Amino acid sequence: MSLHRTSRKYHKWLMLFVGLQLLTWSITGTYMVLLDIDYIHGDTLVAKKQQVLAPDQVKYSFKELLVAYPEATQIELGFMLNQAVYRFNVDKKKVLISALDGQQLSPINEQLAISIAQDTYDNKKVTIAKVQLLQNDAPNELSRRHLPVWRIDFDDFASPSFYISANSGQLVTKRHTYWRLFDWMFSFHVMDYIDGEADNKLLLLFTVLAFIASLFGLVLTYYRLAPHSRNPKNLASKNKQDRAKHKRTNTETANETR
Amino acid sequence: MKHVNKHKSKLFKLSTVKSLHKWLSLLVFIQLFIWLGTGLFFNLMDHNKARGNHNKQAIVIQKIDNQRLLSANSIITSSSKPVSDVVLVQRLGQPYYLLAHDKGLYSHFKSNYSLVDAYSGIALVIDKSIASKLAQASYKGTGDISGVVKLEPPIADMLKEKNTVWQVNFLDDLETSVYVDASSGRLVGHSNEDKRFVDFFFMLHFMDYPFLGEGSVGGFNNGQITFFALLTLIFCLTGFIWVIELLRKGRYKFS
Repeated sequence: MSLHRTSRKYHKWLMLFVGLQLLTWSITGTYMVLLDIDYIHGDTLVAKKQQVLAPDQVKYSFKELLVAYPEATQIELGFMLNQAVYRFNVDKKKVLISALDGQQLSPINEQLAISIAQDTYDNKKVTIAKVQLLQNDAPNELSRRHLPVWRIDFDDFASPSFYISANSGQLVTKRHTYWRLFDWMFSFHVMDYIDGEADNKLLLLFTVLAFIASLFGLVLTYYRLAPHSRNPKNLASKNKQDRAKHKRTNTETANETR
Repeated sequence: MKHVNKHKSKLFKLSTVKSLHKWLSLLVFIQLFIWLGTGLFFNLMDHNKARGNHNKQAIVIQKIDNQRLLSANSIITSSSKPVSDVVLVQRLGQPYYLLAHDKGLYSHFKSNYSLVDAYSGIALVIDKSIASKLAQASYKGTGDISGVVKLEPPIADMLKEKNTVWQVNFLDDLETSVYVDASSGRLVGHSNEDKRFVDFFFMLHFMDYPFLGEGSVGGFNNGQITFFALLTLIFCLTGFIWVIELLRKGRYKFS
């Protein structure tokens, strides 16, 4: 069998098995490159806000804090809404206290979580669709280490959700339809439908087969598109043209004679 | 006659599909092989090596003397720039207040910080020698420092980083480079030959070429990949229709 015929046979057969995956790669890949990654990560949903600490907002010192909580690490002085607060870790758990008097503010209640979500959200006119406190079970899109967390769903384009930590009162992550879809696309792109890792055997098998199938395809490109004097198809069409030309000349001659 | 009508009523002609498939193959085949080849590499590569953290170690936290801590109040008052938050951090085993003047959404976004000694209130500027010591503290390899350079983004090893950094290079087999944020003294990360090798494959997979458009950005939202992705999508779609057509016509036969 000639290389041309062999390639046609194997290209045809291999593509029967990997063609759908190649189509999947191109659809999911196109989705991922078309949508701006910062938009996907929901960065455009977050309000840009820079607050300034005033000395009279901070009456409780780092020193006092460390006396009250000797195990505290990663101590941060910042804001919750317009109030100065301290956030720190005690045994990997976040604690939130007031910077005025050291009173513990965590865990935050529903009303406060809603206010924080609205304050962090860029579009101030938006209404809230649903509020949920997640304590023991995290959905796939949320890391368990963020629990407990308030999930605030906004009634806005692409159904955004903000996750506000009940212990730190901070936005820990955000999601919207196109990010959720992106995660699906990535899973299908790397053929790992459970946790989206690129080092699985299924992907290896399909990539190798697709590579071989494409090599046969490249041989076909060569035979079909490169000008070959001995290509039987070209010959055939040339003959057809010749015959057509011949026919035309004949009729023309016939007309002339008439 | 009937046959011709049937073809006309279709959305597309099979001959158009076939000829599109042939011509597109010529346009996309090089990138298609790059995608498949680099994809295969990502599947098989050592994911631990790819992180570039072979010589990285955790920084040891020292016990601090709480009684000597200055109040945050006085720190805010004496800062010449507005402060949005204050973090008690450690640099080289000593406590410092890290003042944020301008803070990005993520640590690699453009930010502006200053460091103040938490005991004395004296400002700490991350200069060449401090950057070297900070890098050394995160390094567990045996190489000596061969050079320290201040770099503005874009930084070839850390394309997503938007802040000015110190690059501290070590003389070891892996050519380790350690990056330290020039305003906060934060450890940006480690890089080495293994990571640079993997980064090269990512550049190819994402068509994130340094000589095109905005240059390498460490991402896949660029014009050239969008163009090729769309062509490849049509290419795969026409191929897929072709396979369906062959199946329909019963051309898949064991013989």
